[in-house]
Amino acid sequence: MVAALLGVPAVAGAQNTGLVYGTVRDTAGRPVPAQVLLVGGRAAAYAAANGGYRLVVPAGDVLVRAAFIQYAPVQTIVHVAAGDSVSHDFVLTPSIGWLSQDVFELGPVITTAAKRSQLLDLAVTSIALVTDSEIARRAINTIDEAVGKAPAVQFLNGQVNIRGSSGYVQGLGSRVLLLVDGVPMNQGDRGGIDWDVIPVDQVQRVEIVKGAGSVLYGSAALGGVVNLITRGLPTGFHARLRTTAGFYANPPNDVWRFRDFTGGEGGADVAASYGTAALRGAFAAGARHSDGYRQQDRDDHWQLAGKGEWLAAPNLRVRLSGAWANDDNQTALRWCVQGACDTRGQSYQPFMTDTADLGARTTSGKGFIAGAVERTVSDQLTWTGRASWSRTHFQDLFPTGSDYAIADLFGGELRAVATPTPDQVVTVGGEAALSNVTSDFFGVHTQGEYAAYGESERRHGALRFTVGARADFLTVDGGGMTAVVSPRAGVVIPSGVGTWRLSAGRGFRAPSIAERFVTTVVDGFPVIPNPNLSPEVAWSFEVGHARPIGQWLHADAALFWTEAQHLIEPNIDTVQGQIQFRNLQRARWAGLDLALRARPFSDRLATSAAYTFLYARELATDSTPERALGFRPRHLLTLSVDYALGPAALGADFRYSSRMDRVEIFESEPRIAAKVLDLRAQYGRGPLAAHLLVANALNYIYSLVPRTLEPVRTVTLTLVYSY
Amino acid sequence: MRTPSRGARAAVLGLALFACNDGLHPVPAPTTCPQSFTGICGHVTFQGAVPDSTQAVYVVAYHTFPRSRDSLFTFQPSLILLQKLPLDSTRAFYAVPLMSGRYEWVVAVWVKQGFTLANADSTLREAGSYRNPADTTLPGVVNVYTQGTDSIDFVVDFAHMHPPCRYYNPPCP
Repeated sequence: MVAALLGVPAVAGAQNTGLVYGTVRDTAGRPVPAQVLLVGGRAAAYAAANGGYRLVVPAGDVLVRAAFIQYAPVQTIVHVAAGDSVSHDFVLTPSIGWLSQDVFELGPVITTAAKRSQLLDLAVTSIALVTDSEIARRAINTIDEAVGKAPAVQFLNGQVNIRGSSGYVQGLGSRVLLLVDGVPMNQGDRGGIDWDVIPVDQVQRVEIVKGAGSVLYGSAALGGVVNLITRGLPTGFHARLRTTAGFYANPPNDVWRFRDFTGGEGGADVAASYGTAALRGAFAAGARHSDGYRQQDRDDHWQLAGKGEWLAAPNLRVRLSGAWANDDNQTALRWCVQGACDTRGQSYQPFMTDTADLGARTTSGKGFIAGAVERTVSDQLTWTGRASWSRTHFQDLFPTGSDYAIADLFGGELRAVATPTPDQVVTVGGEAALSNVTSDFFGVHTQGEYAAYGESERRHGALRFTVGARADFLTVDGGGMTAVVSPRAGVVIPSGVGTWRLSAGRGFRAPSIAERFVTTVVDGFPVIPNPNLSPEVAWSFEVGHARPIGQWLHADAALFWTEAQHLIEPNIDTVQGQIQFRNLQRARWAGLDLALRARPFSDRLATSAAYTFLYARELATDSTPERALGFRPRHLLTLSVDYALGPAALGADFRYSSRMDRVEIFESEPRIAAKVLDLRAQYGRGPLAAHLLVANALNYIYSLVPRTLEPVRTVTLTLVYSY
Repeated sequence: MRTPSRGARAAVLGLALFACNDGLHPVPAPTTCPQSFTGICGHVTFQGAVPDSTQAVYVVAYHTFPRSRDSLFTFQPSLILLQKLPLDSTRAFYAVPLMSGRYEWVVAVWVKQGFTLANADSTLREAGSYRNPADTTLPGVVNVYTQGTDSIDFVVDFAHMHPPCRYYNPPCP
């Protein structure tokens, strides 16, 4: 019957329409700014701040649905005569499962772009989403493997780039901020990112905010923000067991063979949760081993994670979460070239490492504890307070010595979201973070970041204007305060069938403690501290448009432009024979970010394509001419296709990354484009699901960073049992 | 079920061709300057026994002959482009990327284990250098153009190495 009803709008003439209007309120009578849409059709509207909505629908019996984050969706059948109007009021019930897939599919609701819930197409900057189903069907071990397939995102040997923001500096000083449920997680000492801090199985979805996000997030959000949102906690008892086993392809040429067995990987994760109406909790544990796909690449990993939630009152929620992950891995440095190992008459051996590095390994740990309180004071005001402690430590064990670092990052934030008038939403807050580092080559130092921020979104007719700013105050070892102001302004303009968005914002990244204070020796040459480093700053501009095209295609395109100054790079002083991080570069990166989603031939077939054109230049200085910015490919293309047939599904991803115009190390060595094809299959029946992944199915041998081999063909089978 | 268009089928075929595997392949060690290479290439012939305390041997080039400690590290290429010479045979090919220009001194530098900048005078040695073909008592000047300059051959003699201060003005005691 529902199917028949769904067919009604499709045959209704465009001029044969009627109007459904009314309000959307919660059980307490408060207005809810929900999305109201015609199921099976394209008509959609958003309830105003007073809860009112109007929806033009085809005449006849239509299925109309209302949904909003934190509420269970409601749908109803309404009969509308041609040219008539019908009133229907929706009442939404608060739901703990507010992040369920059901709600998510209605129209993505995001929480990262404005530090509050908002509909995806009302964000002033570009957002990419990775859903839990996308994560599951890729059968991956760490979340970066899924994030790296998002439009305009690329990983260079573990370092994330959003629209070419970070380049590659061996993991130091990421220009992308990682959040876990809104809590900053970049390392307190090096400023890099540990992507395995949360078990991949615990991630519900990923929100990727592109462009400068420092107006709300401060340092490191110069190029974008990645927010890992963990699974919600349902009521009742639930459990999940996930096992993974796989193997790596051997080198495709005998002259590259480096071991007499086929390398493998495997692991297991178990998770369980229990929840009542007021109290819920979850726990997860797992371990995995990998032989690695190259010499000196073995890794042993284990992890723990937990999460609890107390609904103390209908308007008060308390959350506590934490995780710890530990690795003991061999250190696969650069591949060896002549003079560094027995190259068997070859110029280089991509699967082998420098003989001098054999035996090097690293033990490391990373984790966090975070707590948050969320309270709805009234219709006009909600506030959130959070506190967190994250820790990273590592010890490098080389044949000739060792080094170590321990970093504690303490953070806290108090944020309020107010609706002073029906057409305005204001977000204000204060945030503090303190890094304590103890290391034999970074020294013993503290770095503080204290900030106040505010952003207002105001509606004028159909337009939504956003203006905000954040002031950050940076201290090092208790002194030397530096102030950085990060404004942002934007506007969202709904058009007939799509939405335009324009924004301009300033981002910055504070130098990491490692960049300021590193004291070490590289090949005998000293690396000396530079406590006077200044923050990197950048202005980002964006014009974007999202719209459906025809009945089965959705397009999102954005033109972006970033002007960056004071970028921190290692400088080699040839007179003194020493290396030091300095504020050197001015740079510009601009381009086109295009994402398409389509169901072109059948509803069983889902396809997507993402293309990024990047024009990245290092601007001229007194000592260097203008030239290509290192480690930025000009073209980045991702194609995905999935075909579902009952309980089975097949899929593929193809990623093309053009040859880097310039790299900053081993520049004279050959560089090639990357062309990587991943194939996958899955089958589910009842509580069991099996996922087969053939990553890099063509066994394309390539590097993105010179002398660093990217993963070879890897076949992985993952079995999941859910209770 | 919608039927795939001719354009869609062509796109799939094009993608398949585009994805054909042409990644990295084994590359035999060169014996002459590679194409599209800017720098110097040649062979070094080793004499004497390689000291047990050897950390590495590099070929570097100076635009101007270094006459003081301050100019000791003005060599090319930059530190991150230094490549160790293979020491497992009596003769080795090298290719050192250099910017175009004139280089007064092309030298093999022996580095002792434990080298630091502070102890450079005792842990670095000149182990051999390119000589002027017309007068082998003089350093050979090398001009680098946009293509590789080949046949910059010389001898590395581990039995007769010299500290850098030998060339300072005034020389070390």
